[in-house]
Amino acid sequence: MDFGFCLSPSSHVKMDDIDLTTFNRLKDANPDINTCIACGSCTATCTAGNFTEMSFRRILLMLQRGKEEEAKKMIQRCMLCGKCTLVCPRGINIRKILLDITR
Amino acid sequence: MNSQIFHPFVLPFVLGMAFVLTYCFVGLFKVILQLPKDDRRQFLRSLVTPKTAWANIRDLFGDCLFHVKIWKRNPLLGYMHSAIAFGWFMIIVIGHVMLFTLKPLEGVEVEGFARTFTNFYYPIFFKYFAEETPVFAFLMDFFLLMIISGILIAVAKKIHSKIVGVKRVTKFGFADNMIRFALWTIFPFRLIAEKTNIMAFWWLYSFDLLIFMFMLPFTRYMHIPTEALFILMRHAGLNAREPRKGYALAQLYSCPSCGLCIDACPMSVNDKMSGNTSAYFMKKLRNKDSEEAKRIAETCLMCGKCVMICPVSIESCDIKFSQRAAVPYEIHSDHSYLDVISTEAERSGEISSTKPKTLYFAGCMTQLTPKIMRAMQQIMESAGEEYDFLDKDGGICCGRPMLLSGKVAEAQAMIAKNTELIKKSGATKLVLSCPICYKVFKDEYHLEGVEIQHHTQYINELVKNGKLKVKKADVNYVYHDPCELGRAYGVYDEPREAIENVGNLLKAKSEKELSICCGGSLGSFNLTQKERDEITSNSVADLMFNNPDEIVTACPLCLKTFARKSPVPVKDIAELFVVHQA
Amino acid sequence: MKENILIIGGGAAGMEAATQLQKMGLTPIIVEKSENLGGHIAQWDRLFPAFHPAKDVVDQMLSQVKDIKTYLNTEVADIQKDNDGFHAVLSNNEKIDAKAVILATGFDIFKAERKQEYGYGIYNNVMTSVELEKFFRTGKDERINNPKKIGFVHCVGARDVKVCNTYCSKVCCTTALKQACEIKEVFPDAEVYTFYMDLRMFGPGYEDLYLKTQKDFDVKCVRGRVCEVSENMDGKLVIKAEDTLFGKPLKMTLDVLILMCAMEKNKSIDTIQQKLGIADNSDGFMQNKDMYLGMNGTAQDGVFVAGACTAPKSLPDTIGEARSVATQVFNYINNK
Ligand SMILES: Cc1cc2nc3c(=O)[nH]c(=O)nc-3n(C[C@H](O)[C@H](O)[C@H](O)COP(=O)(O)OP(=O)(O)OC[C@H]3O[C@@H](n4cnc5c(N)ncnc54)[C@H](O)[C@@H]3O)c2cc1C
Ligand code: SF4
Ligand code: SF4
Ligand code: SF4
Ligand code: SF4
Ligand code: SF4
Ligand code: SF4
Repeated sequence: MDFGFCLSPSSHVKMDDIDLTTFNRLKDANPDINTCIACGSCTATCTAGNFTEMSFRRILLMLQRGKEEEAKKMIQRCMLCGKCTLVCPRGINIRKILLDITR
Repeated sequence: MNSQIFHPFVLPFVLGMAFVLTYCFVGLFKVILQLPKDDRRQFLRSLVTPKTAWANIRDLFGDCLFHVKIWKRNPLLGYMHSAIAFGWFMIIVIGHVMLFTLKPLEGVEVEGFARTFTNFYYPIFFKYFAEETPVFAFLMDFFLLMIISGILIAVAKKIHSKIVGVKRVTKFGFADNMIRFALWTIFPFRLIAEKTNIMAFWWLYSFDLLIFMFMLPFTRYMHIPTEALFILMRHAGLNAREPRKGYALAQLYSCPSCGLCIDACPMSVNDKMSGNTSAYFMKKLRNKDSEEAKRIAETCLMCGKCVMICPVSIESCDIKFSQRAAVPYEIHSDHSYLDVISTEAERSGEISSTKPKTLYFAGCMTQLTPKIMRAMQQIMESAGEEYDFLDKDGGICCGRPMLLSGKVAEAQAMIAKNTELIKKSGATKLVLSCPICYKVFKDEYHLEGVEIQHHTQYINELVKNGKLKVKKADVNYVYHDPCELGRAYGVYDEPREAIENVGNLLKAKSEKELSICCGGSLGSFNLTQKERDEITSNSVADLMFNNPDEIVTACPLCLKTFARKSPVPVKDIAELFVVHQA
Repeated sequence: MKENILIIGGGAAGMEAATQLQKMGLTPIIVEKSENLGGHIAQWDRLFPAFHPAKDVVDQMLSQVKDIKTYLNTEVADIQKDNDGFHAVLSNNEKIDAKAVILATGFDIFKAERKQEYGYGIYNNVMTSVELEKFFRTGKDERINNPKKIGFVHCVGARDVKVCNTYCSKVCCTTALKQACEIKEVFPDAEVYTFYMDLRMFGPGYEDLYLKTQKDFDVKCVRGRVCEVSENMDGKLVIKAEDTLFGKPLKMTLDVLILMCAMEKNKSIDTIQQKLGIADNSDGFMQNKDMYLGMNGTAQDGVFVAGACTAPKSLPDTIGEARSVATQVFNYINNK
């Protein structure tokens, strides 16, 4: 029931309506994408993150929460240096996933 | 000798020859037309430049006929190749020379077109149509037997490849097997035909030639004519720009799928991964299996060992690189944020007060190996150097990892910014700890007036000119040659010379040009952690060959990679020069 | 019915198993590599979750094993099995015949140098949880000079494929919070941060410890894994991590950084283990028969396991296993 109490549009993530096409495409090519434990190491070590908002951890979440455009914008900052891949405790092949997102 | 000038059995040969000649000429023009304009001009000019022309002649003989490179690797294999190639070449040459000894057949007038036509097949079937003088007859038999001896070795190799020191051989399809069978039987048939003059064998001989020449363009044997073109183009100094065009195309067809790169490749630790080696890459690309070619190109570690070992000198890494660059991207990098970055010194306004002579750039990977940074700092302090760090607190990537992905244009912003920062510093020497950086600084940066050194070279220099005092300890070290320092730049001696000052240097099983990639290379995008681990273990085992006390490397990435799997401590070369300071 | 039972390892597991077996009328013999019994708990100051002095526990256990035959500074050099049981040769060349063997060789601490980016062995003020316990016991450590800011890093050498250990070490979360409280007791004015990925407070009283850390000691828990440590001009540590809950990377200077090093299998037993035909599991610890009913058994009849040699365990876990292994051995001997 909607009593019309909202003044502004809800800020909830509408999990029912999210288009996961991009994420699923990535997942098929890189199954380890699901093993992220959101430790933030990739973000903390990020070379681009020194100067910008770049965060691989958040890119992964954005893709799963319907913020694909934001993710694609953020990824433009990446230098592909590979530090994130080197520190990831789950051994996720982050550099490959970064490359795949931009395709 | 049979008193005729024509017999229908020559027709299969004539047909095959006409086909293959047409194919080759069309191909030749296609390749040359596909070259970018400047490349084409460069290529044509090289043909008439004395220096390259001489190199062309030398290599055409040395590589195509005598297979010098294969001789060096394995004499038996070398003999096999040159027996077939040189023997065949001589038979053709002598066949043509013998045309001059021809006496006209009684009562048969051969003039004009008919003469030219007979010249086309006479040398191939000489014995059937004319008498050979004893000297020529001997020479012909000699070279024919030489070819057959080569073929016998080839048959033996097929049955048991270890005879010629090859562990893995390329797996072939139907067409390749069929043409190989034709090649093996051509000369025995010819010998039998010549000696017995049984018609059936002349026919078989001619049909074999037809099969061989007709299938040639569709099989690996196309390398025989293409290699000549490739040699010319290589000497012209061209670069592969597109994966299946021009120079790259010439290389694709010059690869005989000999399989030498399969054994050499670090990925060949298991059969599944050995499908990622250059031999297969070339084959897939040649057969227009672009998905597989793309996958393999992005799996390769880009360690360069296959290029080093290739008897044809095929620059497979460059082709893989162009394959990577050919992948279309939907999203492009935006590094415009780099424009506004300034160094710590600039921000605090203290620039220009102290101008360091030596600038140290640790690189991204080295940020994760503080031991190297710490050691370099201590070394520069003890040597009394005027130095500064370019990226103490994290810097801008050198751009090479981006380049390695094939995104050439997108690396430029990083290169430009780093160049600007280095130039502003006023330093005259740039010292790098990461060979990945070293390569890109050498290749892509234009830093006139700044000497670029890897820290192995820098440390060796400091020790040599007495600035850094060290003492020798009784520790047994083995040194790993990082791919991008060794094979890419031939920096083999300086690190070894340096290590000799502080300890005993043992040999690894495979060294220098043959050193095995650690498995951690940024060159590969597809290898999984597990696959990399297998490569690492194999490389460690190779280094442990003489039971060293410690493994020494000169790359932060090798250091991290080896540390996972090594039974003994792994150190960067810089660490030794802190431990053993006098 | 006096039967020899060879117990390799005289830590909590070995001592408790020996005590129980003796009460059952069997003859346990302890072979201990180091110069005293007690194993790792003898190195701890106070135990979580109740801050009970470890020394009390160790002393109590020692008093129970004082009549049990014990070899100190001794290892098993060789072992053979035949129809009569096991025949071991000790490193002092003595021979022991036994009907059954219990492996209770416990764990080793992950060597923090292996995680180079954390700077242990490079920067002076990076230390391990084990060294901090020593500080609590002795009150002495030159690295701890009235620190103002202290950080704890969880999961060092655990849950990390990059060091080939993918398991959780189970006790280090609780230990970190325990030590955080203890350091606050010593330096009430210090700011204490812990950097965790998940806080695994799994047992009775453990969540209360977490509550206490927050309420009574004002310890700040930051959800994010430290990825790089460096040193600034003043010799202070600078750490980088992402505050994943806030969604931004952070940098922070600290006076001391404590690494919560994981437990790894004690490899000094490897050759004997191989001779007995017992493999390692995927985490590198000893493989027991199964995780549920066969947790004390092994692939080799007559060889049993107890304590932290099969997986990271807390002291109560270890004691529980030691008691159950005694029952298993008793049944094994009697059903023969
Ligand atoms: C930092 C830290 C703090 C902890 N704090 C607590 C706590 O507060 N509360 C709690 O419940 N648990 C705590 N634990 C867990 C606790 O330490 C273990 O559960 C317990 O020590 C396990 O006992 P064990 O006998 O299995 O192994 P160990 O304690 O490792 O004992 C093994 C014994 O075997 C000996 N040995 C090893 N190899 C050989 C060999 N080849 N031959 C002969 N002898 C050998 C060793 O010398 C040692 O004496 C802590 C763990 C750590 C790492
Ligand atoms: S590869 Fe990209 S995301 Fe990863 S650390 Fe480098 S800049 Fe950051
Ligand atoms: S480092 Fe790996 S596990 Fe951690 S947040 Fe990044 S992707 Fe996830
Ligand atoms: S690339 Fe070179 S080494 Fe590899 S198969 Fe081709 S010719 Fe042989
Ligand atoms: S570059 Fe190295 S990894 Fe790649 S195919 Fe050649 S030898 Fe193998
Ligand atoms: S190449 Fe590697 S080490 Fe060099 S700056 Fe870039 S990422 Fe870093
Ligand atoms: S117990 Fe906590 S600190 Fe230890 S490994 Fe598990 S999650 Fe990490």
